[in-house]
Amino acid sequence: MTLRKWLFVLALLTPGLGLIVAFIGVAVYIAIAQSFGLYNLSGESGFSLEFWVKMLDRKVFSRAIAYSVYIGVLSAFLSVLFAYPLAIWLRKPFPGSLTIGAMLKAPLLVHGLVAAFLFINVIAYHGVLNQLMQGLGIWDGPKRLQNDRNAIGVIVLQTWKNMPFALLLLTGAVQAISDDVLHAARDLGAGGFDRFRKVIAPLTVSAMQAALIIIFIGALADFSFQVIAGPTNRQSLAQLMVFYKSGGRWNDAAVVGVTLMGIAILGSVLLAALPRMTLRGRVA
Amino acid sequence: MGGISAHDLRMEFDGFAAVADVGFEVATGEFITLLGPSGCGKTTLLRMISGFLAPTAGTIHLAGEDVTRTPPEKRDTALCFQSYALFPHLTVRENLEFGLRQKRVPPADRETRLEAVVGALDLSPHLAKLPNQLSGGQQQRVALGRALVMRPSVILFDEPLSNLDARLRDQVRIEIRRIQRDFGLTAIYVTHDQAEALAMSDRVFVMKGGRIEQSDTPERLYGRPRTSFVADFIGNANVLEAEVRTVDGNGLVQLDTALGPLLAASTIPPQGSRIRVCWRPEDADLAATGPNLLSGRVTHRAFQGHFTDLHLETGATGCRIQTKQPGIQEGDTITFSLKPEQIVLLEAVA
Repeated sequence: MTLRKWLFVLALLTPGLGLIVAFIGVAVYIAIAQSFGLYNLSGESGFSLEFWVKMLDRKVFSRAIAYSVYIGVLSAFLSVLFAYPLAIWLRKPFPGSLTIGAMLKAPLLVHGLVAAFLFINVIAYHGVLNQLMQGLGIWDGPKRLQNDRNAIGVIVLQTWKNMPFALLLLTGAVQAISDDVLHAARDLGAGGFDRFRKVIAPLTVSAMQAALIIIFIGALADFSFQVIAGPTNRQSLAQLMVFYKSGGRWNDAAVVGVTLMGIAILGSVLLAALPRMTLRGRVA
Repeated sequence: MGGISAHDLRMEFDGFAAVADVGFEVATGEFITLLGPSGCGKTTLLRMISGFLAPTAGTIHLAGEDVTRTPPEKRDTALCFQSYALFPHLTVRENLEFGLRQKRVPPADRETRLEAVVGALDLSPHLAKLPNQLSGGQQQRVALGRALVMRPSVILFDEPLSNLDARLRDQVRIEIRRIQRDFGLTAIYVTHDQAEALAMSDRVFVMKGGRIEQSDTPERLYGRPRTSFVADFIGNANVLEAEVRTVDGNGLVQLDTALGPLLAASTIPPQGSRIRVCWRPEDADLAATGPNLLSGRVTHRAFQGHFTDLHLETGATGCRIQTKQPGIQEGDTITFSLKPEQIVLLEAVA
């Protein structure tokens, strides 16, 4: 394309994309500036590495990073893992498939906070699950399932909420694979798992990457699920950021915010690269 | 290598019999074509042989082994798809190697087989390319190579040439036949193109309504069709109803038809007193005289290059003849004759 055409395309994109880039750019710029002591809302402004140095020394910060990455990665992989078989199952229409598909996508329409409270009702000390297990005689008494140490509740919530999104992306990609291609693989000796590994996964890798990245970013920055159902002995990065902000420590909050953005970018790159690298030796 | 044997094969979809009690034997190394109009059951039959459809009833044996309920991935067959079905994310080499790797063929043997197929199909310049970088003919050759490299007992073709232009179709048709012979493969080929079926096959199974109407060599199928459907489907034929007057001991049958009285010579006795008969347009002899001398007025003339197609009005009916004789125009009245052995007796009129 000529320079003139590039400029023309850019001009066409500017009213929409330009505004988004400008607003996000401003927010990112202010966050980065505040993390280095600039744009200080509660004191003197001036460039300083002090906030970063102090933050990197805090155990709560490193624990929050590890915790958020754990939630983000696990939620993304579990969502995709559950979505794939469903997408393959729903690939061809059958009586009731439309209803099943709609029901599976229902969590997309439920707000995160509502979902979290619904979940609490299920797993609470006197909740439905406890009563059911006792009623069936499996458990002798109620168990404490809420705010578990390993954040299994949060992972379940994240997967429940995000799996439909992965399903939405993967269903389209899986449906785009022709029957003949799958039949050819079968005809050449590929069983169910090999057909998935050597044909379906490589041909839907872009949808898989998109699902992994988007779910990872959302789960990494989770606040509501963590506050309601997460463990009480550790904080997510978003929770930590809000904690600092509530205390008027804007620069510390900015350090956490910038870290969150950095991990989101780095994690996205890694999650995008991982499926490609894994599927590179696709024939072997 | 091995032959195929099918007994009482039946495939029903919601009570509709797509294939109805079909049975046949195919010898090792034979090239069989399933020919018929759309919906006649030929692809269903092929899918049952390849294992993608489990028959409602009946059995299939490949190389003597009962494979009726064996899934496709465990059958010693290879299917060439109409759409080629190449793996779009794999290079030509990876496509060719796919099945060999699945079957865990040792690397040395894999390389030998690959070289043989790549050489036979002239694919070496394209090994590193992706399918979308190839022309239709090249993709077809890769699909063929991917099946051949497996060295299956039976190779199956589902209208593999239908997406190619006429010129390329001729080339690939010859190529497929040559390779099938060279590798000694038993082949089942599905097509609705009768010219393709006649040109390629050892035997042709003409299918209609889920049944095999006639299975024969291309020559016999063309020269001695058993039913009016086969006569009409394979090439052009003049099919007409006839009253059987007399049958003598030498197989000469005296017939009354809308064209006038005709004398037919047949080794098979007529199926009834009122039957259908047929003759080929190119059998009309404008120079000769004989027992079946007919005349008619030319109502339509179409020059076809190596012959001229003439539609004639003869008595109460019409017929079609083909001649190499130039100069005949619409409105001319011409006389032609048919040899008794060129008139074929078909089924009885219901």
